[in-house]
Amino acid sequence: MEIDPLPNGSGSNAATGPETAATTTAITVTSNTAPSSKLSHLTESLKLEHQFLRVPFEHFKKTIRTNHRTVEKEVSAVISSVTDVADSDEISKDDAILSLTSLVSRLQGIKRKLEEGSHAENLQAHRCRARLDHLDSADAENLSEWNNVRLKRVLVDYMSRMSYYDSAMKLAESSNIQELVDIDVFQEAKKVIDGLRNQEVGPALAWCADNKSRLKKSKSKFEFQLRLQEFVELVRAENYMRAISYARRYLSPWGATHLKEFQRVMATLAVRSHTECAKYKVLFEPKQWDFLVDQFKQEFCRLYGMTLEPLLLTYLQAGLSALKTPYCYEDDCTKEDPLSQDSFRKLAMPLPYSKQHHSKLVCYITKELMDTENPPQVLPNGYVYSTKALKEMAEKNNGKITCPRTGLVCSYSDLVKAYIS
Amino acid sequence: MELNNLKDAFDRVAKKQKLSCSKVQEVMDQIVQEIEKAIEMMQSTTLDHKSILAELKKKLHEIAPLAQLEGTQKELNIALSKYPKALEKTLNPDISKAYRNIEFDSHTVNQIIASHFYRQGMFDVGDCFITEAGEAEAAAAMRSLFQEMYQILEAMKSRNLEPALKWAAANSDNLKENGSDLLLGLHQLQFVKILQKGSREEALKYARTNFVPFAGNHMAEIQKLMGCLLYSDRLSESPYAHLLSPTNWDIVAEELTRQFCNLLGQSYQSPLSVTIAAGVQGLPPLLKFMTVMAGKKQEWQSMKQLPVPVELDKEFQFHSIFVCPVSKEQSTEDNPPMLMSCGHVLCKQSINKMSKNGSKTFKCPYCPSDVDAPRCRQLNF
Repeated sequence: MEIDPLPNGSGSNAATGPETAATTTAITVTSNTAPSSKLSHLTESLKLEHQFLRVPFEHFKKTIRTNHRTVEKEVSAVISSVTDVADSDEISKDDAILSLTSLVSRLQGIKRKLEEGSHAENLQAHRCRARLDHLDSADAENLSEWNNVRLKRVLVDYMSRMSYYDSAMKLAESSNIQELVDIDVFQEAKKVIDGLRNQEVGPALAWCADNKSRLKKSKSKFEFQLRLQEFVELVRAENYMRAISYARRYLSPWGATHLKEFQRVMATLAVRSHTECAKYKVLFEPKQWDFLVDQFKQEFCRLYGMTLEPLLLTYLQAGLSALKTPYCYEDDCTKEDPLSQDSFRKLAMPLPYSKQHHSKLVCYITKELMDTENPPQVLPNGYVYSTKALKEMAEKNNGKITCPRTGLVCSYSDLVKAYIS
Repeated sequence: MELNNLKDAFDRVAKKQKLSCSKVQEVMDQIVQEIEKAIEMMQSTTLDHKSILAELKKKLHEIAPLAQLEGTQKELNIALSKYPKALEKTLNPDISKAYRNIEFDSHTVNQIIASHFYRQGMFDVGDCFITEAGEAEAAAAMRSLFQEMYQILEAMKSRNLEPALKWAAANSDNLKENGSDLLLGLHQLQFVKILQKGSREEALKYARTNFVPFAGNHMAEIQKLMGCLLYSDRLSESPYAHLLSPTNWDIVAEELTRQFCNLLGQSYQSPLSVTIAAGVQGLPPLLKFMTVMAGKKQEWQSMKQLPVPVELDKEFQFHSIFVCPVSKEQSTEDNPPMLMSCGHVLCKQSINKMSKNGSKTFKCPYCPSDVDAPRCRQLNF
């Protein structure tokens, strides 16, 4: 790109080329990396916490809905019983008293159950509020502790999703962050996943029935996939008559929307389980069950407003990319850089490098940032170090400077300042 | 941050939920009351039980319990649907939008996690994790490396310096090479501890045996410590009261951790903590970019470099990055940074362009000086 030299003005900033504007901002950016950027980073980072607030709320909402459904069901049952008693012609007085008394004790039972239910609701409301308070509590003073807790939360999320429940529990307990993690929500998923791993669709179907309306809303075909699998299993067991009646009952309702898949799976009745035809053979492979597990995890995450990928991996990816520079892979990479480690380098391999718009220079000796406060100085051999490091060295050695990388010796007065924008 | 918004929205949910709960209670009580009243009437009066039952049926229909519940339920539903909307508006609803579909090797990830637990001293969690994840071999080395350090730190927490002193003495040469005063710091803590117990003689003896090697470089500190001897039984009211502060212990413990990690060849901070913290700062600009670029996912997947600059705090800056202010490109081996005679720095390619390959002098873009290309010097950061 061709850049015309700026007009030789009086040296002031009167000439306002785009480059000059960029320089001034560059300077303010580098000199302002102190608290203000910390706080704006904090505000931005809180916006990443959607799942943290959403999941306990979805759980809370689910409990409210379930409790309310129980009330509706029980109350209408009681009323219709009263109506039955009142409408029956033959009933004697004693029988009437007896059945009314039993209704009263039934109502007392429901009331007790509802009290338990509302207790559960209150606990969950409390959890939702604890999350809001936790986000609110983050400020400049407790930031490192707060960040520490965030890493633990993210790790618990990862372990729960990978079904390492014991470790997840242990970490949450030992750090006393049970209110800030959702292991219990994942426990619900565990039953279904365990079932699918044992090639049982029962728990998964029950889960579908529990969440019927919401799955329907998101146009999920997970239940259909479960039914297909069950059908395939019947064919595998050569139980063809049952397979047909199963299909009639459970698969045909999906025929209108998923005709292709429906027809394909019906064809297995003809080709049977020992087929070599690739198109049908895959249907009988055990990895179909793994596919169902993945499918379930996705449906589950969507229902609770979780991200589809574990938080840990999302953060890890962004972090590795932001840290990745060509220099990370050199032998003299400082060990404070995570990318000096083989495991991190391996993960970062397929990721893009970070991008910088402004120079950022780190002193080879002190590892501190060189900026306007601590400007870079150039030795006669072209090697650059921070003023702070060089001054200290000169004071200790009677004004002599020794280049730590080349061994060149020179005097402090030989140094030249470099202006980096 | 508009957390107050969210708090208000949630308060509404909680309020409506309470209201709905008490309404349910009230309706249930009403029903129970009516039925009990009917039973009592049947038992105590000679009225025809049929008419009482008919009356009860009429009453219950008048109460219309479900209709009564409908109102509060509707209000609750409104609050319930508003809160998630507020969440989606205030927060970023899906941070995995910035996720590139690249499979991470879960074995490597688990290894990193296990190492993290061990180096943070969470040995129980680490053990549990490697068993559950089936990574038994992976991080065992890390465990034994850090076990000693945490034993030393634990002992320090209960104010026992023996293991720390033993370790520091055994590694005193390495510590000296790194310019660390850890050993003196530990001796100082021990000296003050002895003095606090009121034993001046013992403290003096301790000082004589242990402070001598430091006399050359740390005269001032040692003089101060010896000054303490005058106040052995009332140190807390002396000019040396600050020596009693528990933060001294924290500072020494931190230095010990730093030196221990250093000698192990490990970083001071857990690399996982550093990466995740960098990720937290890196995600917002990436997500903003994804929103702008919605639908162009393909391009993003094949990029060699992130599409947007990500400004990290300076603690994440491990390498010198020079960006040429003219071409906006990062310097490379073939295109190194060059110092011009005026002290400003550009990349070689930019200088070549502006000087028409060194054939003429040009004006520095930042100041009025004339620059002669052959006189520019290559820099090494």
